[in-house]
Amino acid sequence: MEVVKLEHVSKTFGTVKAVNGLTLTVRQGEIFGFLGTNGAGKTTTIKMLLGFFRPDAGQVSVLGQNPGDPAARRAIGFMPETAYYYPYLNVRELLAFYGGLCGMAKADIRRRSAELIARVGLEEAGGRLLRHYSKGMLQRAGIAQALLHDPDLLILDEPLTGLDPLARIRFRDLILDLRRQGKTIFFSSHDLSESELICDRVAILKQGSLVWCGTLGEVAGDGQQNLERIFLKMLGDAPARAVAGEPVGEERP
Amino acid sequence: MSHRVCQIKALAGLSVLELYRRKDLIVVFVLCAVILLPLMVFTPFGVSGASRYVNEMALLLVWLFSLVIGLGVSARLFPPEFESRTIYPMLSKPVARGTVLAGKYAGALAASVSALAVFYAAYGLLAGVRQGVWFPAVLVQAFALHIGFLAVVTALGLLGSLVLTPSANLTMMGLTVTGMLFFGQRLSALASAQAWPGRTVLTLLDWFGPHVEFFDLRQRVVHEWPPIGWDVCLAVLAYAAGYAALCLMVAAFAFRKKRF
Repeated sequence: MEVVKLEHVSKTFGTVKAVNGLTLTVRQGEIFGFLGTNGAGKTTTIKMLLGFFRPDAGQVSVLGQNPGDPAARRAIGFMPETAYYYPYLNVRELLAFYGGLCGMAKADIRRRSAELIARVGLEEAGGRLLRHYSKGMLQRAGIAQALLHDPDLLILDEPLTGLDPLARIRFRDLILDLRRQGKTIFFSSHDLSESELICDRVAILKQGSLVWCGTLGEVAGDGQQNLERIFLKMLGDAPARAVAGEPVGEERP
Repeated sequence: MSHRVCQIKALAGLSVLELYRRKDLIVVFVLCAVILLPLMVFTPFGVSGASRYVNEMALLLVWLFSLVIGLGVSARLFPPEFESRTIYPMLSKPVARGTVLAGKYAGALAASVSALAVFYAAYGLLAGVRQGVWFPAVLVQAFALHIGFLAVVTALGLLGSLVLTPSANLTMMGLTVTGMLFFGQRLSALASAQAWPGRTVLTLLDWFGPHVEFFDLRQRVVHEWPPIGWDVCLAVLAYAAGYAALCLMVAAFAFRKKRF
């Protein structure tokens, strides 16, 4: 089943074409890595998936629905790139607030919050105001709020930013566990090694256009290639190709 | 409880909690106590009738503080959400933008009205001690109409928070509301005395500006005049509800079109 479907999607801001004719699908139960350099159009695509704005052209559907419809977002959990939450709340109050927005019963919010706070390792800091949290702790609070209503699709925008190695391992375990539960994870990242470890399929975006999409099996089967080399090759500019071990003067298709 | 009511409650609770956690209200309460208490026990020149002027000053301060709180709270409803990007996780939940707006407005109004209730309770108690009349009907009407005033001011502040920067919003709305409070009643007379285009501008302002002077019963409270008819009171409250609804509709349109 296709959980995310983008068909010839384009979005322009002024003179900048942020997304250009993007077509891709994400299937149920897979971890889909969405890679690209800064300004490649990853966050714009995610905002369209969440219905924050409509594409100028093309179709976006999430779980068969228009993401602009609030009902469609019941099945989506989202963690933004920069996790700044209300500094005057503690993590329990933050989750209670988001639980209220999701229409969850108070008992469910309490049970689920306790479970998630433990899962992301914030039990000891549970009563502290978020203004006293480090960046990594805020990221963990962000993961907890994204998972609060037990969504079928999890959209994570640069989730590894600010996480220490231990938190990264926890995060990886959490993501893999969610996949075992049949959840779909749409994972935008700059971290190629982490993406290679956990993603089933990856898409590489360059200047708003899809330049490569495939399984990690295809990457492994591509001679000596790994995800990093594929990524650098697909960027297509001279320094990147030099790093990827390619002749710089050669014209690429 | 319906899903939407639950969402509005969560959003309103957040706004109220923010106001109390940021200690803004505590500052205002302390200021109120420091200014109101000495004024209310003080008898100028030893003349008991002069206490009316003291009461008038006290009520003027209550109006000033309520305007500061109402505009201050509502002008801060959205800009921090956009700046700190908390708007993204909020809108990623199954909540409609109209519900977000309604919840934010309810929170700002609840926070402002709770502060106003403290002011009026303090004023009523102290005036009761001085004059022996406890919470007369005119004071109850003044409180009810003051809530109507806050309903309009917070709706204007919320609308401004979506289309203006916070400082521009505070300046523009503050000037509009205080201008209308003092000159609103005379706008039509002023307009008829002007030549074009001044006449058109003032007439438009008279038609579309917030007539907050309708909510001002200070003179009646201070001079212990009889209360206004309850039908008039209800009509003015209906005006407040209608004006606030209009502002919220424009704000909903602006919020729907907003790119962030």
